[in-house]
Amino acid sequence: MALYNFKKIMVVPTSKEFIDITLSKTQRKTPTVIHKHYQIHRIRHFYMRKVKFTQQNYHDRLSQILTDFPKLDDIHPFYADLMNVLYDKDHYKLALGQINIAKNLIDNVSKDYVRLMKYGDSLYRCKQLKRAALGRMCTIMKRQKQSLEYLEQVRQHLSRLPTIDPNTRTLLLCGYPNVGKSSFINKVTRADVEVQPYAFTTKSLFVGHMDYKYLRWQVVDTPGILDHPLEERNTIEMQAITALAHLRSAVLYVMDLSEQCGHTLKQQLELFNNIRPLFANKPLLVVANKCDIKKISELTEEDKACDKLLAARVDSKMKGKKVHDVLNRLHLAMPAKRDDKPRPPFIPEGAKVGRKTMEVDAPKRKTERDLEMEMGDDYVLDLQKYWDLMNQDEKHDVIPEIWEGHNIADYIDPEIMKNLEDLEKEEELKVKAGEYESEEESEDEEMQEIRQLAKQIREKRKMKIVCSKEKDVHGPRMPRTVKKVERKTLEKEMGGLGLDMTGKDAVSRFSFSSHYAVNARRSRSVTVLKKRKREASVAPTSRTRSQSASRPPRDQSGVRDPKMAKKAKKLMKSQQKDMNRQGKKGEADRHVFDLKPKHLFSGKRKSGTNDHR
Amino acid sequence: MWSLSRQTYFKPQNEHIELHRKRHGQRLDHHERKRKKESREAHERSHKARKMIGLKAKLYHKQRHSEKIQMKKTLKMHEQRKTKQKNDDKTPEGAVPAYLLDREGQSRAKILSNMIKQKRKEKAGKWEVPLPKVRAQGETEVLKVIRTGKRQKKAWKRMVTKVCFVGDNFTRKPPKYERFIRPMGLRFKKAHVTHPELKATFCLPILGVKKNPSSPLYTTLGVITKGTVIEVNVSELGLVTQGGKVIWGKYAQVTNNPENDGCINAVLLV
Repeated sequence: MALYNFKKIMVVPTSKEFIDITLSKTQRKTPTVIHKHYQIHRIRHFYMRKVKFTQQNYHDRLSQILTDFPKLDDIHPFYADLMNVLYDKDHYKLALGQINIAKNLIDNVSKDYVRLMKYGDSLYRCKQLKRAALGRMCTIMKRQKQSLEYLEQVRQHLSRLPTIDPNTRTLLLCGYPNVGKSSFINKVTRADVEVQPYAFTTKSLFVGHMDYKYLRWQVVDTPGILDHPLEERNTIEMQAITALAHLRSAVLYVMDLSEQCGHTLKQQLELFNNIRPLFANKPLLVVANKCDIKKISELTEEDKACDKLLAARVDSKMKGKKVHDVLNRLHLAMPAKRDDKPRPPFIPEGAKVGRKTMEVDAPKRKTERDLEMEMGDDYVLDLQKYWDLMNQDEKHDVIPEIWEGHNIADYIDPEIMKNLEDLEKEEELKVKAGEYESEEESEDEEMQEIRQLAKQIREKRKMKIVCSKEKDVHGPRMPRTVKKVERKTLEKEMGGLGLDMTGKDAVSRFSFSSHYAVNARRSRSVTVLKKRKREASVAPTSRTRSQSASRPPRDQSGVRDPKMAKKAKKLMKSQQKDMNRQGKKGEADRHVFDLKPKHLFSGKRKSGTNDHR
Repeated sequence: MWSLSRQTYFKPQNEHIELHRKRHGQRLDHHERKRKKESREAHERSHKARKMIGLKAKLYHKQRHSEKIQMKKTLKMHEQRKTKQKNDDKTPEGAVPAYLLDREGQSRAKILSNMIKQKRKEKAGKWEVPLPKVRAQGETEVLKVIRTGKRQKKAWKRMVTKVCFVGDNFTRKPPKYERFIRPMGLRFKKAHVTHPELKATFCLPILGVKKNPSSPLYTTLGVITKGTVIEVNVSELGLVTQGGKVIWGKYAQVTNNPENDGCINAVLLV
């Protein structure tokens, strides 16, 4: 049994999006550079690849749509019928058929144009053919706009359908609108179905789950059915009929005894007789609802409904063969009687006394405390029962906070706007009077110093930002490391920050001056080509600022001693010699020279040598 | 049969989003956030339009341009509604100013003489065609040299590089003797023919190539290039002559380069 996962269907894009996605994918995933002077087979292959890639993408995406959407013939007839009711089987099949046709057409277009491209003899011609092919494919997709939109809507609705298992234990509620089916399912299961006083509040099937006898039961709530022939039924009622027709379940026909739903008992009975053929082979129970308003002895409860269905299912299972395996293992254990002594259930004396006092004592006015003592753990303070309302039934109603999407508290007080204004005025006065200002605790000197310093830092930072913004009129500038920093500015800056700059070693500690001088020298020496000595294997001592102090240069890293360094250098040079001899640019240079040039090896020998013929 | 877990999860069913909104309302700051988001949209759109680069930007700007044109048109229409405009209808065809009303139309004699003139023109082979002058295609363009022989030296065979039409009963000459090769991939049987007055296009089978303006050699070979006059089977259109006979063949002139587009587009010569 395959319960189709309707939530896993991929999103169906609109036709415009589809085209955009595919074309941009082609542009990104295929090579883009081609020149006129390339060989013709290369040009042809380049354009053919684009056409085929586009076709492949369309094909894949359309195939996925076709496989994701359920085939009405393959799924359970309940779902097939439900989808027919909701989405119209013909329209659905047509839409999928159109998509299939589009897929085949796109394949054909690609085949034709790839065949034509084999005869393309210039870049222009191949390019035009590719353009025509892609254009054709996109036109085909543009024509599928309606189908794609329809399928997207179907997908969205499908993913929100309740997951009803057609093969498990089910209770089906049916009846006129407004008889109390949704209230029943709300009470019995955890489903939260909307209950309202108007008819047709429930517009589609809802499912809830409950437990009985350690088994899980499905309860399906349907929209109400009115009494007219099948042809005149609208989509909402047809859903209920579909559920009745296909689900093997116990049917609870709910009747409203108090006629609050707006239909008399006679009408309800007539409806019952009309849809009786749908109840064939299903345990049926008639539920008389709303009997607190109009008392008639209750006919059935949910227990009886479940029991009946269970009995029916057990019967049909008994007839099967698999039962015997299970029966062999089942054994009901009853404790055997030892002797003839009767052993009734034991009730302690205190409980009996308590029961008696509860019945006898009847004080004139029961206080809340008495009630509390009486009910023990069950006691709930319920002050609402003392309220004096016009309609006494509404005493225990829940006051909603939100209704129809609006906040009720906004509407209680007719003077609310005026009150709000008064409040705001008051607040303003308070703020002015300074009631909300924090007290200045007696801070010790340290805190005050810190605060002062923080303030200074903030001011200084702002000043710097402003200064730097003003300064930027020169456009692109040389980085700071290239310029030479004067000693005076360095001293001033560091002194301003609180560092002691007196003394020569203080400056040299930063080694800025020498450092900057070296870098300035370096930049200036670009035009002057210095011949580097071959033995300049020793790395320069002053390094650039960018390099961290911890990283050694590459020909020194991993080298233990100068002997090893020398050996490494030798190896390097011997390798280099080989490459130099061959005239290679680098390790990756694999150019093969023309060792047998044609002009020296072909043609007749007239008068000349092999060097030039 | 026994349920494995006693937990029941709340599975959202049908219109659960709308139901939740009805019961619990929205966030306390929902309206403010909505208003702010909507007012931010203009800024975000302009930021996007400024920062996009490349092909995406081109496509986006094109689309945006057309949107703006539409907006301007709507605004203009609204403006026009408020003011009164001069009624600028096109004058119906055949409308004649008052001082010409008394003249009679073309007389019968005129009609007859026109017919005779047209017949003479047809005989002379000069039609009124939509494309009177077409670029002549040289032989190197249309025919490609195919080398044959043991040493690939003989060069007497030619392959047609343009789209061509061969009839139904066409069989090749024996390959050793055929001089002109017309590859199967370049043989077309149908053309997309537009009727100039109806402005409708039909896919009609080709009956033959009447004349190729570049050279009579191409006509005999059946090469179809831009400007070629072909004969198409118009029985689909259901045209009938004065005498009641059904027309089933008409001439059409090719208006595109079929070897670049992969299809033959033609205009019917009425």
